[in-house]
Amino acid sequence: MAIDPSMEPMLEVFIYETTTLLEQLDEILLESEKSKSFSEDSINEIFRTMHTIKGSSAMMEFNGISTLAHAVEDVFFIIREDPARLSNVNEALFDLVFQASDFLKTEVESVQNNGEATKDPGGMIAELKRLAAIMKGEAAPAAPAQGEAAAAAAPAAPPPSSGDLSRVKIYFEDGCQMENIRAFMLISQLKDLCDHIESIPANPEGDSSLCSEIIKNGLIIDFKPTGSVDDVIHAIENSVNIKTYEMMDNDPAPAPAEAAPAPKSEEKSASAPAPAAPAAANAGAGKVKQSLVSVNQSKLDQLMDLVGEIVTSESMVVGNPELRGLKLDNFHKSARELRKLTDELQDVVMSIRMVPLSGVFQKMNRIVRDMCKKLGKDVDLVTEGGDTEVDKTINEAIGDPFMHMIRNSMDHGIEPVEERRAKGKPPRGRITIAAKNVGGEIVITIADDGQGLDTEALMSKARANGILTKPESEYTDKEIFGLIMLPGFSTNKEVTEFSGRGVGMDVVRQNLEKVGGTLSIDSKKDVGTTFTIKIPLTLAIVDGMELTVGDSVFTLPISSIKQSFKVSEDHQVILDTDGTEMIMLRGQCFPLIRLHQVFGIPTQVTDLHEGIIMQIENSDKVACIFADELLGEQQVVVKPFPKFLTKYELKQLGLSGCTILGDGSISLILDANNLLNSSH
Amino acid sequence: MSIDVKNIAEDALDDLKGRYLTFFIDDTCYGIELLYISEIISVLPVTHIPGLPVYFKGVINLRGKVAPVIDVRLKFGQEERPYDDKTCIIIVNISDMQVGLIVDMVADVVSMENALRNPPPETGRNGDRYLASIANVGGKVILNIDCEKFFQSDLRLY
Repeated sequence: MAIDPSMEPMLEVFIYETTTLLEQLDEILLESEKSKSFSEDSINEIFRTMHTIKGSSAMMEFNGISTLAHAVEDVFFIIREDPARLSNVNEALFDLVFQASDFLKTEVESVQNNGEATKDPGGMIAELKRLAAIMKGEAAPAAPAQGEAAAAAAPAAPPPSSGDLSRVKIYFEDGCQMENIRAFMLISQLKDLCDHIESIPANPEGDSSLCSEIIKNGLIIDFKPTGSVDDVIHAIENSVNIKTYEMMDNDPAPAPAEAAPAPKSEEKSASAPAPAAPAAANAGAGKVKQSLVSVNQSKLDQLMDLVGEIVTSESMVVGNPELRGLKLDNFHKSARELRKLTDELQDVVMSIRMVPLSGVFQKMNRIVRDMCKKLGKDVDLVTEGGDTEVDKTINEAIGDPFMHMIRNSMDHGIEPVEERRAKGKPPRGRITIAAKNVGGEIVITIADDGQGLDTEALMSKARANGILTKPESEYTDKEIFGLIMLPGFSTNKEVTEFSGRGVGMDVVRQNLEKVGGTLSIDSKKDVGTTFTIKIPLTLAIVDGMELTVGDSVFTLPISSIKQSFKVSEDHQVILDTDGTEMIMLRGQCFPLIRLHQVFGIPTQVTDLHEGIIMQIENSDKVACIFADELLGEQQVVVKPFPKFLTKYELKQLGLSGCTILGDGSISLILDANNLLNSSH
Repeated sequence: MSIDVKNIAEDALDDLKGRYLTFFIDDTCYGIELLYISEIISVLPVTHIPGLPVYFKGVINLRGKVAPVIDVRLKFGQEERPYDDKTCIIIVNISDMQVGLIVDMVADVVSMENALRNPPPETGRNGDRYLASIANVGGKVILNIDCEKFFQSDLRLY
């Protein structure tokens, strides 16, 4: 089957991870074979390995790999329970697990080459199941997996009235072989989604002669779905090697319906590369080429620091005061060359550390789906801006906080379906995660359309917990919302599986602060709650313009400068009714921000004629700022303010960080965005 | 091997326990537990940052790292005075962050294991809110600062 395009970024990771795991697996197997038994550690290791492969391949929707890994996992689960059982099957088990490992390797290779896994592990799975059965001492080798089959098809269960049964008839692809095993796989897959399931022919996996019957008459499944019929149909559509299916609705003469477009395209893509895959597999069995190298994060950090130092020292060399006034044509030529290379180096190092957020978002999809089922809510997760790239450390740090917030929204935010209906909202809840890059900051919002935060409930809870620090009437809504981020605050009366232990939002806040992020909450009763997370790009190198105000040196990112000029005529400056200074420039008026006033810095230069004016802009506003003097352009490494100062929200003031200049002194980096916002 | 290392580390920590660095503000002697202290440096150029409480003098460049510095005189609500060659910055580690404390003069490291230590009297005024104990070492009175309390107002977010 073809791989979902949204999964593509994860494909490489999947291949890398699985290959590494399989290599480890082989190592363990070889060692164990030598000593002719499995140690407890290696059993656990194999179990874990298979579990991981199962999980990740299921996520990537490589069902063949996943089911095989599942079968191996089952076998080792039995061994783990009682290692003594191993003695019955020792030889056979080694062979089989090696086969399975080889099979997985060729599949991973085919995934890498063609982007899809094509082969069917049915035979191997049956073999593994047989082995498992022997170990359990349940069934004779001749009747493979009878135990599970009985549970799967439930022939003993009294047939429920046909009224609530749905019937679907499935045809497998021509020549896909082992139709009986495929039928069994499909049934076991659907079993999870159904309260009751029956097939005609029953227990297909036991008898390969049933293949022809299935080819001729199709596989008929009667089922009673746990959820909706659509879930089951969806699962059928997503299964491999299915040519067509038709719902029969207990109608004796059903109109045969071609499978939806999705399975059709699957069919095409699955059948075309199939012949090619085995050949490639034979040629390079076990030699999956990897294009990924795993590197210790600390080395990357070191590299990044070094690049930062190089940029700083380059500025020191090129801008060295001793060179002033000298005519150095060749020097400047070489310096330019050097600058070009360091620029490139920076870009590469930065890109190494950047990963898209889509990975984190994807995980959230999963959480929402699982929680929907468990809580009986119906929620849509909408993600935007998954391709926004953030530093790896940030990406790792926000995974858990996100999970908490999504869980909170699911558990506390979104109301049950009936309640939503009663409130006149669409029954299907909606959680939106959006990420975007705004002026050196990543802004991520997680919004739900649930019941919102109840300020009164929050207050009474805070009162009960004794965490109020001032008279209740003085609390603003925003401050009340902030209460939920305090340690030990949980509004949910009962601890549920997902949230309500009172550590959630506190931990969320702390984790975000670790990467210099901030969290704010906005909520409206019955409209929803929005969490806004702002995270700075931890380390970035910007082209900046150095300017002085009094004794302080500031750096203004060049990207936000429109132009700089001196005021020559008095009539350019006008005052509005509030006394705010405005500057008239080519017939347009812009507000004037005096940096020495905004930051309260004493300076000699207060006359507009003496200083310099820079016009700055962001996406929607333009203003002029007034400084004493321009020092010149320099490339600087942005360092966030020490975490100690987080409380003082310097960002709101218009300072986004600081940087160390060539001479070791510190310059503050101006944030045009916030300067502009505070000017209005 | 690893046990040895652990032992050594524990010994080193034990060595620090109960030992205090003393410093002067005017004629008053204060102590800070040595556990918190990473180094003492002479006064570096301080870059002022607007929008902070007055006792924050700004930030310094601590070998490529940016660390905030607090003037202890101002934090204690006393008059500021010009820095001289005895003025020092004590770099303190608190909650994995480095903060510099500007003091008039660093004095000594004293062990308080056996010294007489009393909790500060409750005066009801704010003056003693940063103190952990008052000790008497060899006839000298030392006011021991409780680092957690000292930085509490800056570390608390809400």
